[in-house]
Amino acid sequence: MILSQVEPLASEAQLLSREIFGNIPPSHKATFYGLATLAMLIFAWGIIRRVRIWRLGQPGLKIDWQQGLNRFCCEVLTQKVLLGRGLPSLAHVLLFSGFVVLFIGTILVAVEHILQDLQGLPNTQPVFHYGIYYAVYEVVLDTFGLAFIAGCLLFAYRRAFEPGNIERKDLDWLVLLTFAVIGVTGYFIEGARIIREATPQPGFSYVGLAFAHLIEWMGIRPDQIDGLHRGLWWFHAFISLSAIAVMPFTRLLHVFAGSLNWLMVPKEMGVLQPISIEEIEETGQMGVARLQDWSWQRLLQLDACVSCGRCEDACPAHLAGKPLSPRDVVQDIKLHAEEVDRVTRRAKFLEKDLDEVLESASSLHVDTIQAETLWSCTTCNACVFVCPLGVNPLGYITDMRRNLIGEAELRGAPAQALQKMQRSGNPWGLPVGDRFEWAEGLDVPTVESNPDFDVLYWVGCAAAYDRRLRKVAQSIVKLLAHAGVSFAVLGEREKCTGESARRMGEEFLFQELAMENVETLNSHNVKKIVTHCPHCLNSFRQDYPQFDGHYEVVHHTAYLQELIEAGKLQVPSDAELQGKVTFHDPCYLARVQGETEAPRELLDSVANSPSARVEMENHSENTLCCGGGGGRMWFDDAPEERTGKARVQEALNTGAEQVAVSCPFCLIMMKDGVAAEGKDEEVKVLDVAEVLVGQTQPDPK
Amino acid sequence: MKILVPTKRVPDTDQKIKVSSDGTGVQTNTLPFIINPFDAIALEEALRIQEGASDEVEVITVGIGNDEYEKELRAGLAMGADRAIHVSTDELLDPWNVSKVLKVIVEKEAPDLVLMGKQAVDDDSNQAGQFLAAQLDWPQATFISKIELADSKANVERETDLGIEKLSLNLPAVITADLRLNEPRYASLPNIMKAKKKPIDSIPLTDLGIEIEPKIEIISVEAPSSIRSCKKVETVDELLTLLRDEAKVL
Ligand code: SF4
Ligand code: SF4
Repeated sequence: MILSQVEPLASEAQLLSREIFGNIPPSHKATFYGLATLAMLIFAWGIIRRVRIWRLGQPGLKIDWQQGLNRFCCEVLTQKVLLGRGLPSLAHVLLFSGFVVLFIGTILVAVEHILQDLQGLPNTQPVFHYGIYYAVYEVVLDTFGLAFIAGCLLFAYRRAFEPGNIERKDLDWLVLLTFAVIGVTGYFIEGARIIREATPQPGFSYVGLAFAHLIEWMGIRPDQIDGLHRGLWWFHAFISLSAIAVMPFTRLLHVFAGSLNWLMVPKEMGVLQPISIEEIEETGQMGVARLQDWSWQRLLQLDACVSCGRCEDACPAHLAGKPLSPRDVVQDIKLHAEEVDRVTRRAKFLEKDLDEVLESASSLHVDTIQAETLWSCTTCNACVFVCPLGVNPLGYITDMRRNLIGEAELRGAPAQALQKMQRSGNPWGLPVGDRFEWAEGLDVPTVESNPDFDVLYWVGCAAAYDRRLRKVAQSIVKLLAHAGVSFAVLGEREKCTGESARRMGEEFLFQELAMENVETLNSHNVKKIVTHCPHCLNSFRQDYPQFDGHYEVVHHTAYLQELIEAGKLQVPSDAELQGKVTFHDPCYLARVQGETEAPRELLDSVANSPSARVEMENHSENTLCCGGGGGRMWFDDAPEERTGKARVQEALNTGAEQVAVSCPFCLIMMKDGVAAEGKDEEVKVLDVAEVLVGQTQPDPK
Repeated sequence: MKILVPTKRVPDTDQKIKVSSDGTGVQTNTLPFIINPFDAIALEEALRIQEGASDEVEVITVGIGNDEYEKELRAGLAMGADRAIHVSTDELLDPWNVSKVLKVIVEKEAPDLVLMGKQAVDDDSNQAGQFLAAQLDWPQATFISKIELADSKANVERETDLGIEKLSLNLPAVITADLRLNEPRYASLPNIMKAKKKPIDSIPLTDLGIEIEPKIEIISVEAPSSIRSCKKVETVDELLTLLRDEAKVL
């Protein structure tokens, strides 16, 4: 029936188009424009309210707009940022695409109308809104209108019947209802218009045509159509304008704040900005003490958060029952920002001293975010990775941690670890003279004995001092020697990279250590570093360049894989891995540095069958933290309170007899966790290098 | 209120200590030093009292030793002490003489409370606090794991082998801190920078007008035998036999 109505497109007699503002008398149009202006004013007010909050912050960092735009197009417009979650992803893609297309469609109609007006044409004589363009326009808009309504329905279904972790607000229902009504009334108007104007080839507006039939079926008489059309039009116009007006007051604020945020946030995870001593001298404080200490971009980012709860679901600390939820961190700071804004305005209005008035308001530290919350974070970056709006909850945490350190608020074991790093260059405070003990009897070349080395093996404190981890370092040097690599170690001259100090907020201890290490490395003309530990890797890649340390840095698994690929390290063809193995990705290797393949390939190269390697529920970039990062390694948690408990369970659930790791912290955490479950007899925790060394000839001599 | 916290400079507990070549002390030339951990606990407690008090509380730290001591006194100021007194001398004083020096400082400063570590981890004498209280004729409480101040009284809990002993002392008093009293804070750069502006009052020992009367003579210092053999036993009976017959401790 639709097809039967399709006539040749270039019918001269009847222009393929439709009237704009058809059936709407000029006086109504004026009222409409008046209301539209009002809606825009309310909208602007809604945005200005938020901008006022953003402006409480400090001048921000330089923004890389080009990168931002790139990312915005590749990841936001394509909705890549929120795919992979089934129904909620589908619902958002539908609503988003419907919204965007209908919005663009409306703009195009407005442009057409303005052009008509400018050229003094009547609304039956379109400037470009006719012919093929019009046909495509109608098909596209009708289709995306369906997507829009379907999106609303899916969201409503999810709100009503699915548990999801998103914060539920009554206002959401109103938004969804309003959107759905806008969609449906749009089609009704289209249907009425098709009847009223006897639109040529109405099949292009196929949904509208269906609604036209519906209107006829409902028994509306032709003489009633004009009235119905106009009534519906007004209803539709009114709620559309209302929806625009209230957008910044609802969750839909994220459309603007989120887009802006995506344009501004740096792409790299795990980067911290250095603080200078001059800053401290000037302000007398370190990190963020008050809300106003954040940059305006960080305050804008608060508005991007829709409280969807994805970060909370991914947070290992939250999972372990620690008093930390990244979502709550963001949302609580947002509420606090609103309070500070209110108080600031009141102080201005009453002409009172701002600082005095702020005293009486709640504080950022303690009242809003407790120290215990801040210290629970392992800086695993899971929250940053999963956030579909580019929010960085971790950033708020590390900024505030810096302040706690500056105010000498850290006590106990972790405070001692920092003290020990400072005094002895390692977090256990073990003697510098013992740092090279792990290599006893192995004839490991040092920068002195092999000054022309190609790569420097950076051992790190854990592998240098811990009895269990020394075995890993020993395996690695055996493999390097076996492959004939010209390498060297710094021996006693190596110091802690300071990575965990920095992530704990002790910026200056980190800087002290970093500068000393850079000096040592540069004095030996180091170009390429193989790190034992992913934390050292991340620090060398992201932290050290800020302090003049520029090196090519690879993780030991990646380097070993390179050696195998180059044929320098041979795994005998009959090598075999006993039983099943599962690989636990370290956060800083997989998520932050994006390296997930090398350790797997290494394991596969010694596995007897492809099925010997099994994956845990969360793996690769989605890995779940062992609980040892961000300085958590130095907190004494009772076994039942450990953050890594869930991860240990995931590993045990695979039924693998071997849990392979590639980070010293992961090894300790997983080993202790497995032992706490009483499974240390059946399940071995090993570094990938140890698995490998068992399969290659360990000693070349 | 005024709290005086004597602190001692001791070798870093994480380091391997080597006996000096003349066998009368330890090698100190390359050794890193720290505030005696028990004194750090005492200082932390003084700072907590200061933070929790409604009226003004001044925390003063005192050190006796050579000029290198300034670093540890600065560390105490970085933790939060208001000012420091450095009694400078190159002599190593034994606990009796330390208490004599402290007595003069106490008479000068007239604090309401002297809070110090129960002992220093270098010589483990555990005497200075007690001597000081005796010389001042003040009440004393040692090995304290909890302190509450109220109406010029200190209510304290004392860890003994028989359990927790609760005492109430009239101020001024000498109280010595045990391990479980608190966990000292970590002082970072901003605190260290602030500490640079705080005053250290240096007084030569010779100006105090006291006569040093050594009570202890060090005859020799030896490192403990480093050979420790371990044995894993299967049963309690086996353990008892070994303790009786081999170790001869039963
Ligand atoms: S921070 Fe991101 S992931 Fe977390 S609740 Fe907000 S929008 Fe969702
Ligand atoms: S970084 Fe990891 S532990 Fe910290 S808040 Fe984010 S998800 Fe939680």
